[in-house]
Amino acid sequence: MKIKWLNVWIAAFLAPTVLVLALFYIVPIGTVLVTGFMEWDGLRAPEFNGLNNYIHLITYDNTFFIALRNILLWSLMAATLHVGFGTLVAFVLYKKHIGWRFVRGVFMVPMVISAAAWAIIYKLFFNDEIGILNHMIRSIGFSDFHVNWFFDSPASFFAITLTWLFYAVYVTLIVYNDLMAIPKEVHEAALLDGASEWGMIRHINLPLVKKAIGTGIILSVTARIAGFEEVALTSRGGPGNDTYNITLMLYDGIVNYNYGYANAAATIMILLGILVLLLINRVFKMNESTY
Amino acid sequence: MIINIRKWPELIVSYSVMTFTVLVSIFPILWILLSSFKSNKEILNDPFSLPKKIDFQAYMDVFTQYNFLGYFMNSMFIAIASTLIALFIYTMAGYIFGKFNFRGKSFLFILCTITLLIPGYARAQPIFTIIMNLDLYDTKTALILVYASFGMALALFILRLSFIAIPKDLDESALIDGAGFWRIFWNVNMPLAKSGISTAGILMFLNNWNEYFYALILTTSEKNRTLPVALEFFNEAFSYNYTRMFAALMMVILPGIVIYVLVQEQVQQSVASSGVKG
Repeated sequence: MKIKWLNVWIAAFLAPTVLVLALFYIVPIGTVLVTGFMEWDGLRAPEFNGLNNYIHLITYDNTFFIALRNILLWSLMAATLHVGFGTLVAFVLYKKHIGWRFVRGVFMVPMVISAAAWAIIYKLFFNDEIGILNHMIRSIGFSDFHVNWFFDSPASFFAITLTWLFYAVYVTLIVYNDLMAIPKEVHEAALLDGASEWGMIRHINLPLVKKAIGTGIILSVTARIAGFEEVALTSRGGPGNDTYNITLMLYDGIVNYNYGYANAAATIMILLGILVLLLINRVFKMNESTY
Repeated sequence: MIINIRKWPELIVSYSVMTFTVLVSIFPILWILLSSFKSNKEILNDPFSLPKKIDFQAYMDVFTQYNFLGYFMNSMFIAIASTLIALFIYTMAGYIFGKFNFRGKSFLFILCTITLLIPGYARAQPIFTIIMNLDLYDTKTALILVYASFGMALALFILRLSFIAIPKDLDESALIDGAGFWRIFWNVNMPLAKSGISTAGILMFLNNWNEYFYALILTTSEKNRTLPVALEFFNEAFSYNYTRMFAALMMVILPGIVIYVLVQEQVQQSVASSGVKG
């Protein structure tokens, strides 16, 4: 095959992907970054207005700070409790006690259901009238217990947290994968040196799966920054602005034809995402090799 | 079997964690399932009881009265079409990334995969405007295009590796036999990259089948509504008929669960190795 034709084939095979990259990634991201500094309603041409969108975003009311506080708290809980639970399950599965395959299979189920359906399941689960949670609490002796989980403050914040807190199967799978990759010799050598079970976990297994845990933190914190269904389909940011987040601001901006404002919010999302990535990369030394 | 007495604490902790994991994962779904066979009165007064009889009346009602089939077909059509288009174009690109060299290759590959780190919803407004400008607002084509674009980074990641794993000798001997570029790709490499292609396909299909946000902002009419969006309308329509609400929920989540059960190992493996939520 002549080199010239080969290059034509290569270009032809890459063309659709490059088109997708340009149309759905590079142009949109560029648009987001630029029009965050513009007044744009989708009808008239966008016009530069400096930092107005950002100033509006921050000073209009205290919504932005509530959204930021929520994202910060949720991210902290995701990085600690959520990833911690996922890691714990991975370490337990690694022991391969009878039934471990079943547990791993079942843990994945909430992840293959649409997030929209999962949010509605939780909305019903926490419903005061028909939800089983309040019925359980009432039946164990608190017969006057009535909390409208998604509509009362501060219950709403915690109810939304519970819709994702324990569903850390992807952390479990990544960590488990790295645990399985630890060479047998490492454990044998440690046993010869008289390492205890606990010592083995603390000084060998945990450090060796550090990167998987770091990846898990990046993924779960990014998911919190971009969270939508679990809020939009339950409390809609309420009560008041209690459970507001940046994706809701973005969504409001789009449906109200306030595109500059929407993209200022989107820019903040992107920046938060990059910040998390850099931070975790640094703390977990993700670029160094494990062995 | 003799169990070492010192193992007890570890066993107790392990099985507590395992039990808890199973409970949080399926208890809500089990509750929805049981409730879908109960009457409104039972749901309100007796949430712990088992249904008195298994009848599918509520399921039939949802199916016949609320155009469930229509939404189901929309979801299925959009998810399948977008996944197939995505697989086709990313398999071609993955093949090039895996087997050929050209100037700027690693730059392009990094550019393609780094998009994974941008929160998906951050691109919402420009994508909305692009779809408007293409005159595709409120069409199935819009969702097919947008969903096909989502899988890019993940698919390229998986596919490039599957093509790298195929020995180059095969290409060379095919070349000597007179096979052209397309035939070497389609008849020699594609069959050997099957497992990577199906892994990428399954992950993309599940994502597209479950997608909610873009379906919400890019469509409005009933004839283009997908199941996850329809669910919210069910929620309102059935606000006082809980049995139907529960039945509708079951019907929306069941296809995803069925697909997952069929290809469980593959889904778990791919999530683990790509480090990306399916």
